Amino acid sequence: MSESSKLASIREKITRGERLGFDDGIALFLEPDLLAVGQLANEVREKRHGDRTYFNRNMRIEVTNVCVASCLFCSFAKLEEHMPGAHTMKLEEAWHELEKRMDDPGGPPTEIHVVNGLHPGLPFSYYEELLRGFKRIDPKIHLKCFTAVEIHFFAQHYGMTYVEVLEKLRAAGLESLPGGGAEIFDEGVRRKISHDKATADEYLEVHRVAHRMGMRTNATMLYGHIETFAHRVDHILRLRDMQDETKGLQAFIPLAFHPDGNGMKNLPAPTAVDDLRTIAVSRLLLDNVDHIKAYWVSLTPDVAQIALRFGADDIDGTIVHETIYKAAGTRSPGALGYEELVRLIREAGRIPIERDTLYNVVRELPRAAVPEAALKPIDRERVRPRALPILQGGIQGATQGKEIPS
Amino acid sequence: MSAGTGEKLRTLGVAYLNARPLWESLKDDPRVALDLARPSALARALAENEADVGLLPVAAAATIGELRLLRNMAIGARGKVRSVAIVAERPLHELDTIALDLSSRTSVVLGRLLLARRKLTPHLFSTDPAQAIASVKGRTGALVIGDAALDVETRFEYRLDLAEDWFEWTGLPFVFAAWFARPDAVDAEHEDIFRIAKQKGLSRVDAIAAEHGARSGLDPASLRAYLTESIRYDLGDEEMVGLERFWTEAANARLLPRTTARFDEPKRSPTRPSLDTILGRAADGERLSAADGERLLREGSFFELGLAADAVRRRKHPDGVVTYIVDRNVNYTNVCTTSCKFCAFYRPVGHPEGYVLSREVLGQKLQEVVDAGGVQILLQGGLNPDLPIGWYEDLFRWIKKEYGLGLHALSPEEILHLARLEKISVKEVLEKLHAAGLDSVPGGGAEILVDRVRRKIAKMKCTSEEWLGVMRVAHQMGLRSSATMMYGTVDTLEDRIQHLVKIRELQDETSGFTAFFCWDYQFEKGTHLAPGENGTHLYLRTQAVARLMLDNVDHVGASWVTQGPAVGQVALRFGADDFGSVMFEENVVSSAGTTFGINAGKIEGRIRQAGFRAVRRNVRYEWLNEPG
Repeated sequence: MSESSKLASIREKITRGERLGFDDGIALFLEPDLLAVGQLANEVREKRHGDRTYFNRNMRIEVTNVCVASCLFCSFAKLEEHMPGAHTMKLEEAWHELEKRMDDPGGPPTEIHVVNGLHPGLPFSYYEELLRGFKRIDPKIHLKCFTAVEIHFFAQHYGMTYVEVLEKLRAAGLESLPGGGAEIFDEGVRRKISHDKATADEYLEVHRVAHRMGMRTNATMLYGHIETFAHRVDHILRLRDMQDETKGLQAFIPLAFHPDGNGMKNLPAPTAVDDLRTIAVSRLLLDNVDHIKAYWVSLTPDVAQIALRFGADDIDGTIVHETIYKAAGTRSPGALGYEELVRLIREAGRIPIERDTLYNVVRELPRAAVPEAALKPIDRERVRPRALPILQGGIQGATQGKEIPS
Repeated sequence: MSAGTGEKLRTLGVAYLNARPLWESLKDDPRVALDLARPSALARALAENEADVGLLPVAAAATIGELRLLRNMAIGARGKVRSVAIVAERPLHELDTIALDLSSRTSVVLGRLLLARRKLTPHLFSTDPAQAIASVKGRTGALVIGDAALDVETRFEYRLDLAEDWFEWTGLPFVFAAWFARPDAVDAEHEDIFRIAKQKGLSRVDAIAAEHGARSGLDPASLRAYLTESIRYDLGDEEMVGLERFWTEAANARLLPRTTARFDEPKRSPTRPSLDTILGRAADGERLSAADGERLLREGSFFELGLAADAVRRRKHPDGVVTYIVDRNVNYTNVCTTSCKFCAFYRPVGHPEGYVLSREVLGQKLQEVVDAGGVQILLQGGLNPDLPIGWYEDLFRWIKKEYGLGLHALSPEEILHLARLEKISVKEVLEKLHAAGLDSVPGGGAEILVDRVRRKIAKMKCTSEEWLGVMRVAHQMGLRSSATMMYGTVDTLEDRIQHLVKIRELQDETSGFTAFFCWDYQFEKGTHLAPGENGTHLYLRTQAVARLMLDNVDHVGASWVTQGPAVGQVALRFGADDFGSVMFEENVVSSAGTTFGINAGKIEGRIRQAGFRAVRRNVRYEWLNEPG
């Protein structure tokens, strides 16, 4: 179990609290011993968060897939309104999606996450009204809507500055920005895979502006297509530089490229070892971002569970209605129930923490306790997911079992 | 079970003559519930918490691990013991084969050490005591123990008394067995019961020798001398040094887990090894005890287990190659009489959805295997009472003749079913099937080889001993097999470790297992059993511990069929060196809701992404092409 000298020097830097550089990032991607990299990331993760692992009750809404951009990796967007499969929700339809969730057994969602195509034909008021409508249904719900790419598009399309766009949307209820649209910052790669939307600098500038206005945001990276490890490290370090300035990023979310039905369908998808390593390297490089998210929709719940040992401390939320990865052929289910998320986290030996969008604790659940199986006949026709009865007094019950070893 | 609870101490003795003085007067003690068992059954009962105290051979004690040794009572010898010997018609160094009586693993380990010390490497094979003696001829000797050894004391020209030879080597007494207790099972008061029983027993040696002489036909005077002069019942300082020396030599030779004798509570003992020590030993290829395995599974960290398992994988397979096989799982019938609660595939006899595949359907499937470059089929099915053994023999011959595919067929349960159906022995079933073309036996149906668990989840199925017995016979015939474990139902962590130990012990005997696969219970629609502990994280930990425990099994396979190809790939970093099969269908797991399909190219891609070279194999894990 001896370590390569490069990894040993990286370990020393981390122990000394020294920041890792570009070369370190490359070395971590090239290190043959995946588990050694994972272990290092896990140590950093545990120093920061212990076993605490975050999730939330959220819902995704994609109100339109009509999009003027032509990103090669996208299986979601349809270029024009009349094309088959193109769809734009009426505002009432979008609001109804939330209304349907207000009686969820786990409680209504605490966050709405809206990501759309860049629709050329809608008035700006459509978006303002969309947000206002959500707030009318639930004034407490957090609106995490529109990627930096959409904000940039709004600014161009409706002739406003980023500040003006964000101020208007904030007045309508917007509270934070999701991290989508980052793809890969490197200009050469970006030109090839998404040439006709916000550039890297524009993406980062939108985030800077939002941070200066007091909004928190997330950031992503789409990996596993035509980019190199150097591009990934460069991407992560550009985010780190911005974060040094603004401190407004909450979470970094590596997103695995899924090839079905898009312009890069001949490329293989990244495999699990790459997914886990990317999570781990992200954790190690981003010393100034609190949270690394294992987005289960992209990873599948099984791999996301392992990622909780490779540096990730967040597994996203209950979601429901994700359509972007679904279009690209993910194996993941469209939604995970509250109990399933809790179980996923517990099975990894972690402590589930339900958070709100801004990482305030909504509910800290006890660690552990997948009880020894009770032998009981189960209705043959009833499909039941692996689930603990968390919300029906199961929390107390759950603590009686034995701890999952960590 | 402590003295205060008022429950009787569950105690197991051995019927052997030399053990009698230690347990005889326990029979009448109201505080003790005494039973007699064969040494192997005694070890199993202690390991599975069906007994509190047992007169345990010291090799078995090392395998179990954390047991408490009762003071100053043992069965040993200082010099000649008379009842444990290698007998032959020729001198030891001229023997090329030695038959082993496996009823004493301790003697077998001792015999191996003494042979190794002489740099002798005869072929060793296991058999029953009568067979062992019968096979002595020319260059074949036998290791015999107990009455059998006393009975032939003067029959063969050459005889190596193992305790005597040990004494010549080390100058120390040899301890064969002693009273060992499960942690927290005995207290000082209990120890007194055993001590007094020993004193009473020793005062009755004359009577014991006379009784045994009358029953066995052996000379009572000789037996009396054996009990009073050859056997030593003390466990003093010198015997302890001898015992520790034996355990150390056996651990150095990787024959037994490393262990230390403890008179105090093992879990609180200052000599208890740290987790790091256990992991280090495991990574170095030392044998782990059941107690070591339990601690790893309970307390070992995710990465440390993975890294240690990866180190073992690398040592066993330094070429960095991961194998896979192109085959097809054909379930020839879904009609089954066992009604396992975890199975969604079977249909009872007479059910409208029951089927038996026709030659036509089978032929089509097999041709597809051949066309896809497949080399074997995995043929398994339910226990269908309408299919006699002739049906299988015809089928196998037809498959071999028409398609030339390898036949990895019929799990132990199906073989036992055929034996019962045809009223013939397992050996006869296997001989017939072997003659008809059977190449290897799949390890399915092992579930957890602890009968308490089996009775709950599959009460119609064979016992652990039966399952292992079929594999033993198959291996002895030269057939190879895989071994599996399905955990995550009602099994405990201790049960999973016992399962691994049982596989390991049979492998010590036969070397017939090629590979080990494990997976968690796939809970879905159609199964009748709530899930216990499972999940991806536990799967990787469990596989890693299996790699560390199964020091004598060459290959560990990732069960991507149940875990999905992504987790299967990660499992290659947790001890696996095989990616299983590229299958066209897998009805049993897929009817419980888990369905994954993948082709050879994608499997190879995943193997390479994980940092290995990929190669196709056959059922014996021989490479079919150059790795790349």
